[in-house]
Amino acid sequence: MKDFMRTLTLNKKLALVAFVLGFIALFAGNPYGSATVKMDTSELATIVQNELDHVDVGELAGWIILGKADYRLLDLRTGKEYEEYHIPGAENVPLTEFGNAGLMKNEKIVLYSEGGIHSAQAWMLLRAQGYKGVYMLRGGLEEWKDNILFPSLASNATPQEKAEFEKAVHVSRFFGGTPRTGDAAIAEGPKMDMPKLQMPAPAGKTPTAATGKKKKEGC
Amino acid sequence: MSAPFFKFGMFSEEVGLIFAFAIGIGFGFFLERAGFNSAKKLTAQFYFTDLTVFKVMFTAIVTAMIGLYYLSVIGLVDLSLVYLTSTNLIPQVVGGLLLGFGFVIGGYCPGTSCVAAATGRLDAVVYLAGIIAGIFFYGEIYPLIESFTQLTPMGTLTIPEYIGLPYGLVVFLVVLMALGGFAGAEWVEKYMAARKEE
Repeated sequence: MKDFMRTLTLNKKLALVAFVLGFIALFAGNPYGSATVKMDTSELATIVQNELDHVDVGELAGWIILGKADYRLLDLRTGKEYEEYHIPGAENVPLTEFGNAGLMKNEKIVLYSEGGIHSAQAWMLLRAQGYKGVYMLRGGLEEWKDNILFPSLASNATPQEKAEFEKAVHVSRFFGGTPRTGDAAIAEGPKMDMPKLQMPAPAGKTPTAATGKKKKEGC
Repeated sequence: MSAPFFKFGMFSEEVGLIFAFAIGIGFGFFLERAGFNSAKKLTAQFYFTDLTVFKVMFTAIVTAMIGLYYLSVIGLVDLSLVYLTSTNLIPQVVGGLLLGFGFVIGGYCPGTSCVAAATGRLDAVVYLAGIIAGIFFYGEIYPLIESFTQLTPMGTLTIPEYIGLPYGLVVFLVVLMALGGFAGAEWVEKYMAARKEE
């Protein structure tokens, strides 16, 4: 063995080292971290307490209308539910698929599910893994339907509520929804037809990983 | 403590520039030691008479890959924070071809022209002036070609994610490819040298 090593040139030795390291890599696993984590519970508790973990539906609707592309919107529901309806620009990423979604720890991530439970759980999982910019959509898709797609105006509304509703109507139309007025319509509940998936194109591009704003880095 | 230090806020942008400067000087030094300050050596690559560029670059790639892979496996580097340029296939292919033409015609690529200019080569100084003029020109016409630069967006891709193979396997395959490439390059060089003698 010693004699064999002596016959090799430096280049051949280096090649051998590279080969051995490459071979060990076959069994060394995934470099993107494992499923076990350590977390700072008091830090997370403070964030939750101060409600820094939310984005509300109005805010999100505004971003979409403005065509903002500095965030990623993740739909945590099943593929079938996602096919039926999703918020424009959302990507379908079920809870178990986070590892494959190509999320970056320094990007802004907004999570939503039907209500709020799944997104809260996903929020916790992602925060624990060190993703800093994770937010939940307050009230989830339920609230999106109630306030954005099918906003309602009671017949005894105050002038201020009426003024607010005027704005909500525009937002609702933008997303293909139907505003509701009068007590009968409200009593019906938001059981109307969900808008078709041909969403109006936002002013800019739909947010994808491809259209970040990180121009500064790279060579 | 884990890297990338800058992303974890361990030093400011200004300090980052100082590190970048030091690393850049180191990079230039080793390019010079590899003989990359000579346009003749660099263009010989394209005539297959001297494949040093290929060998040096592929060695750098393999070294960086193995280093990053093992550092992240043992938890010293957080790979998900390492910046990846996003892929826009068509504009990048066109850009690559342009760079290749410039490389063959001028005898340098951007990095090596800086190295050669620093060692006092006049052709490299001219080349560098061309680069700066080119940057200015590109900046001026950017509004006209902006839509082209954003064609075929594919996001930030890595080979293992794109072809769905385990990371370790891709590391191994790239190492094999490099070793095969080195052996092949040496063979080509000998073959070309023999043909020259005839």
